[in-house]
Amino acid sequence: MAYINSSENAPVAVIGAGSFGTAVANLLAENGKVLFYSRRPDAVEIINKERKNSGQDIHPNITATNDLQEITERCYLLFPSVSSDAFRGVMKSLSDFLRPDHMMIHCTKGFDIKLEEGVTILDKNLKLKTSDIYTMSKVMLEETCVKRVGCMSGPNLAREIANKYPAATVIASKFDEVIREGDAAIRSHRMQVYSNHDIYAVELAGVLKNSMALAAGAVGGLGFGQNAMAFLITRGLGEIIRLAVSMGADRQAFLGLAGIGDLVATCTSPLSRNYTVGARMAKGETLEQIIATSTEVAEGIKTVSISKKIADTNDVKAPIIQNIYKVLFEQLEVQEALKYLMEYRWGQDADFM
Amino acid sequence: MLKSIIPRIKDWPINLIAKKKDKILQETISESILKLNENWSSLPQLREQLQKTLYLENIRIRSESWEVDPEDDADFWKKIRRQLLEADPSKIDENKSKILHQEMLQEIVSRYSNEIVAHFSPNMFWFARQLLVRIFARLFNSHFGGFKGIFNPQEKLKDKLIVAGPVEKLRQLSLKGTVVLVPTHFSNLDSAIIGFGMDYIGMPAFQYGAGLNLFNSKIFTFFAGQLGAYKLDRRKKNPIYLETLKSYSRTNVIAGAHTIFYPGGTRSRAGNIETDLKLGLLGTVMEAQRIHFEKNPSNLAPKIFIVPLTISYNFVLEASSLIVQQLKRIGKEQYLVQEAPQVAGKGIWKFFWETFSKSSDITLSLSEPMDVFGNMLDDDGNSLDKSDNKINIRNYFLSKGQLKADDQREMIYTQMLGDKIVECFFKNNVVYASHVVTFVAFELLQKKLHYPDLFTLLRTSEEFREINWDDFKASVRRIIDELYTMNNKGILKLSPRITTKELPEIIEMGIQNVCIYHTNLPIMRNKEGNITSEDLKLLYYYHNRLLGYGLHQFI
Repeated sequence: MAYINSSENAPVAVIGAGSFGTAVANLLAENGKVLFYSRRPDAVEIINKERKNSGQDIHPNITATNDLQEITERCYLLFPSVSSDAFRGVMKSLSDFLRPDHMMIHCTKGFDIKLEEGVTILDKNLKLKTSDIYTMSKVMLEETCVKRVGCMSGPNLAREIANKYPAATVIASKFDEVIREGDAAIRSHRMQVYSNHDIYAVELAGVLKNSMALAAGAVGGLGFGQNAMAFLITRGLGEIIRLAVSMGADRQAFLGLAGIGDLVATCTSPLSRNYTVGARMAKGETLEQIIATSTEVAEGIKTVSISKKIADTNDVKAPIIQNIYKVLFEQLEVQEALKYLMEYRWGQDADFM
Repeated sequence: MLKSIIPRIKDWPINLIAKKKDKILQETISESILKLNENWSSLPQLREQLQKTLYLENIRIRSESWEVDPEDDADFWKKIRRQLLEADPSKIDENKSKILHQEMLQEIVSRYSNEIVAHFSPNMFWFARQLLVRIFARLFNSHFGGFKGIFNPQEKLKDKLIVAGPVEKLRQLSLKGTVVLVPTHFSNLDSAIIGFGMDYIGMPAFQYGAGLNLFNSKIFTFFAGQLGAYKLDRRKKNPIYLETLKSYSRTNVIAGAHTIFYPGGTRSRAGNIETDLKLGLLGTVMEAQRIHFEKNPSNLAPKIFIVPLTISYNFVLEASSLIVQQLKRIGKEQYLVQEAPQVAGKGIWKFFWETFSKSSDITLSLSEPMDVFGNMLDDDGNSLDKSDNKINIRNYFLSKGQLKADDQREMIYTQMLGDKIVECFFKNNVVYASHVVTFVAFELLQKKLHYPDLFTLLRTSEEFREINWDDFKASVRRIIDELYTMNNKGILKLSPRITTKELPEIIEMGIQNVCIYHTNLPIMRNKEGNITSEDLKLLYYYHNRLLGYGLHQFI
């Protein structure tokens, strides 16, 4: 098939038909044609015929497909939006079809880690080095020939985007060109777009905040008020900045939309999946029960285990993450964890700048 | 010694390009002027830059003039000063002023280009090769005795100067495109050693940049001046000089000159493998590749191949002076010392003598060749994606199907290439026993003394420098175990001299090899059999070689 992406009117692709992927596809469809990939043929059929997915209506500009080759031949700009667990696999499947002129902007707030066979992230003796931890842009660079990569991050709750509420997002990439293309594809009367060249920090901000959303869910689930929530958010911000700095990132992005913006949204909205997990744990459900009844992945669970390892290896003060970890994986009661945090000697305020 | 891949020196790209020197110079000058005019499109901007250049050049002439500087240096810049006054746009017609400014720019760029340009003489190359072979014969003869060494020096040389990695692939690629060798940089001798190593594996000669200061030496000028070395003047930091240098480099790479770039910029002062690369000259390679695609159909566009190279020495000729420079730089007022010791001709002779006459060696460890985007290559030089499918790298320069220059995009591509080069430096670093013993000794000392900063540690008096032998041995064991794991994972390469020996032998060899060259020993065993050091700065310098692998965790 001949390439048709030299045209200004080439469709944009969204890979992954989860709730956020669907919201992004609808957003992009307001500016042009969208090819929407789902790995499930039945889902493709439903999207194309019934024009519904993940509880959202499908914009007329969207066509679903489960042919990755078609996507890469017809589109030059791709938005992968799959869970971090599946991300590397999807990139490997895409790799054979991608060309050096493709651009990819991912929407996944999660880490990928490479461990030796038989080792799990929960192993007590595991020392996790920063080089073992991959952000999604690093996975894209490692698994494909595409160099022009970026990410979309910020306070973007899928349900609110689906409801067409106004919002703002950050397109981060080292390449001006990727930011320009991403901005042109996404910007609309309901989506403001900001840029950032520090893609690593933006990605870390988007991932590390997931742990805090779990804690916020617990605070919310226990019915504590806004004082406690503000306490958690500000100390949580300090904690994720310290962690990110220990991983070689700069602080600046954490004070923008992709950092504090995303943290506030995810810690204060019951719509967030991570928040929901925390709230359910506070009400006495176990992690196994929650996972068994969840339809989509809460990245926060994986993030907490990785963040805890980073804090241990890099000797970073991270009492919130250490306690969420204990609640999730070591059967510590949520109330006990909160008691610990209330008795913890935090010392100086704003010690992360 | 491998047969030269292009048998006649006269047919080597460097010689063919040397014959077109005038054309290369013309292109360099016109390209530089074009670029500079793009940057400074208005007369006030150009005038300001010319004034700035004049100012900086006057400072250089006053404060740091060298023997190699042309005799008319001061007169030339006096003339430019006068011309600037005469061309003042507030006093003469603007169009006339513009013309005069362009003439000045032309004169300066032309002067710089003529200073930078490399020369190559096939006869001189042949002569230098014969001379070096005889020097090596003399060295081996002194050690191995008899006539054997004289008649067959190359037999022993292969144990002393090891060129490791994809040698045949590199040779073949040199016929299919332009090879840009990007080595780590520890010593001023690197270029000579790499040059000899590349000749040894039958590669045609490379063009390379040599610091203009080296041309203060008449012997160096006599040889290197005609062996493809172009001149880099690190005193000149004005934008006109830097652009001319870049244009010269780009023009040569486009013309097909196999080139050596040191991406670290200067020698590694701290003794570590460089991680912070200077990407200016490397950026010209990216640009050259794009220009090839602009000027040629995709399938005929010449390709540029990048080959990182990690050099491993047991000891470095200028170690003492380099580490002093480094400590001055990072310590500022905390580190006040006398001038750094300089290396004289005698030192160079001693370096070669100790390297080639005793149980020491040098490894030139080649990485897998890659394209300018860091993609792997097949044997024919085709770029491959992660699944080994062929890809057309022209597409990296496309925007919506159109090939066009984009400076910001190319700058990021160059940064990415830099990251890839650093990764290769580390992966192909051949670890010697001397690196291990110095790393362990310094780390143990740091752990034992617990000083808050490096400078206090380096001032530790001799009586407190002692490290218990058993502790030392146990730590070396742990580090070697970890190095084996890393070697198996492809994170680095262990020297066969380590993999074929037992621990006591490794330690003895390591200490001996790093010490044979230095008067004050960086590491030694004292009367009690414990480890100590006569020169902590040197110990620190050699220790730094293994930084970046996270090995301190295993001490």
